[in-house]
Amino acid sequence: MSDGAVVKSDPAPATRGRFAWSKKWLMPLFFLGLFLFWESSVFVFSIPRYILPPPSQIIARGWADIPLILTDTFITGGEAVIGFAIAMMLAVPLGLAITFSYVLRHTLYPLCVSLEMTPKIAFAPLFIAWLGFGLLPKVIIVFLVCFFPIVLNSILAFGSLSEELTRFCRSTGAGPWRTFIKVRLPAALPQIFVGYKYAAINATVGATIAEFIGSDQGLGFYIQISSGNQRPDLAFAAIFFLTALGLAMFGAVTLIEKLVIPWDISQRRRSKA
Amino acid sequence: MGASIAIRGVAKSFGTGKSRVDAFGPADLDIAPGEFVALLGPSGCGKSTLLLMLAGLLEPSQGEVIADGRQITGPRTDIGIMFQDNTLVPWRSVRGNIDLQLELRSLDPRGYEARIKDLIRTVHLDGFENRAPYELSGGMQQRAAFCQALVHEPQTLLLDEPLGKLDAMTREAIRRDLQSLWMRSKPTVVLVTHSIEEAVQLSTRICVITPRPGRIEKVIEVDLPWPRDLEVRKSAAFVAEVAAIHDIFRRFGVL
Repeated sequence: MSDGAVVKSDPAPATRGRFAWSKKWLMPLFFLGLFLFWESSVFVFSIPRYILPPPSQIIARGWADIPLILTDTFITGGEAVIGFAIAMMLAVPLGLAITFSYVLRHTLYPLCVSLEMTPKIAFAPLFIAWLGFGLLPKVIIVFLVCFFPIVLNSILAFGSLSEELTRFCRSTGAGPWRTFIKVRLPAALPQIFVGYKYAAINATVGATIAEFIGSDQGLGFYIQISSGNQRPDLAFAAIFFLTALGLAMFGAVTLIEKLVIPWDISQRRRSKA
Repeated sequence: MGASIAIRGVAKSFGTGKSRVDAFGPADLDIAPGEFVALLGPSGCGKSTLLLMLAGLLEPSQGEVIADGRQITGPRTDIGIMFQDNTLVPWRSVRGNIDLQLELRSLDPRGYEARIKDLIRTVHLDGFENRAPYELSGGMQQRAAFCQALVHEPQTLLLDEPLGKLDAMTREAIRRDLQSLWMRSKPTVVLVTHSIEEAVQLSTRICVITPRPGRIEKVIEVDLPWPRDLEVRKSAAFVAEVAAIHDIFRRFGVL
C-alpha cells in the first residue's frame, strides 16, 4: 500500500488539521469571551457598580491597591503553605503507623475518620479565642484541613498492595524494612499524591475562612473589609489572587507528582493526551 | 536439579461453623526432583489453594507439606513463584524488575549479569531490558515475569496460571520457552492450569483435580517424547491423551 492511500483512507489527519488551532487558542479565547460578556453585561443591564463592578474596574482599582493585596497574598499564602507542609510531613507516617498497628487501627483510625467528617472550620473560633489573631491559629486550621485527607489516603495507599506482590515479597524472605523501601512505599505513592492534591486545594480555603473569623491581615481579612466598605471591585481583585494562590499550590504538587511518579497510569495518560 | 515435594493428608478449609468452605483435600502426592507436574482442573477446584500451600504462603488446615524432607511451616524462599497477574512493578524497567527479586534477597545483581542476559535471550526479550512493563504487551510482560521468577536459580518453580490471561497464540509461544527453560536446568515445576492441552504438552505428570471439595482425582503419567513441539502435538498419542483427560472431566460433570 502506498503512503498516499493510507492518508486518504484515514480521516483523522484532516480532523486534526481543522482543530489544530484550538489547542493553543481555545482556552484563552474562552476566558477572554467570558470577561467581555461580564464587562458588557454590566453596561447593557446597567448593574450598579457597588453590586457588580466590570472587570476593567476590578483591574484598575486592584492595580491601584496592589502593594496591600500582594502583602496580604503573601500572608495568606504563608499560612496555607506552612500548614500544608506540616500536614504533608506528619500525615504520611501516621497513616503508615495506623496501617500496620492493630492498636492504632482501633483507636486513632476511628478518631481520624470522625475528625475528617467534622468541618475543621468549626474549630476556628476556638483556636482564635485560645491563641489570638496571629499566624498560629490559621496555620493550625490549615493543618487540620489538610492533615486528615492525607492520613486517610495514606492508609488506603499502604493497605492496598496487591495480593500477588505481597506474596511475591514474602517468597523472597525480605524483611519488612526492605519490602517497605523497595515495594510498599513506591506502590503507595500514587494514592498518597491523591491526598496531597486534595489537601493542596483545601489549604487556601482553610486559610481564608480562618481569616474571616478572626484576623487583621491576609486576603480573607481584605475581602471582608472591602465588602463591608461596599468595594466589591477590591474584593474581586483579592479573590482573583486567592484563585492564583490555589492554582499555584495545586500546580506545585502536580509538578512534584509528575517528577516523583512519572510511571503511574495517571501521568502516562496525561503525557499521551 | 530440583527439590522434592510431598504432601501428606493436606486439606484446607476457610471459615468456621456454617460458613465453612472446604476448599481442598485431603490429598497425598509425591513430586520427585526435576518433575514438571500440572495441577489441572476447572476454576474453583482448589488448585491455586494447593499451590499456595506448597509455597508455604497458606497454612494447611490438616496434614503437612514436606520439601526436601523438611516440613514447611512458613513462606518458602527457595522457590520462584508466578501468578496470573504478574508481579512486575511499574516504577522499574524489565531489567530493574529482574533485579528486584535479587535485591529483595540481599543479592547483588552484578553477580548475576550472565544469568540475566541468558534468561532474557531465552524468552526473546533482548533489546527490551530498559523498557517499562507497561510499554510491553501482555505476553512480553509474562516473559519478563518468568525472568524475575527464575533469576535466583530456584530449585522449585510454582506457577499459578501464568499464561491464563494471554491470547492463544502468545500462550503457544511462551509454552515453548517455558519448556526449554525447564529442560535446560530441570527445576521442579508445579503448574496450575485449566488447559488440558497445556498440561499434556508441558508435564511429566498431571494431577486431575475435581471440584467441591478439590480432590486429586487421578494422577496421569504423560509418556510423550521431549521436546513436545508441533510434531508431537499433532501425534495420535498426544491427541488420545487429551481426549482421555477430557473424558474424566466429562464424567464429573465439569465439561
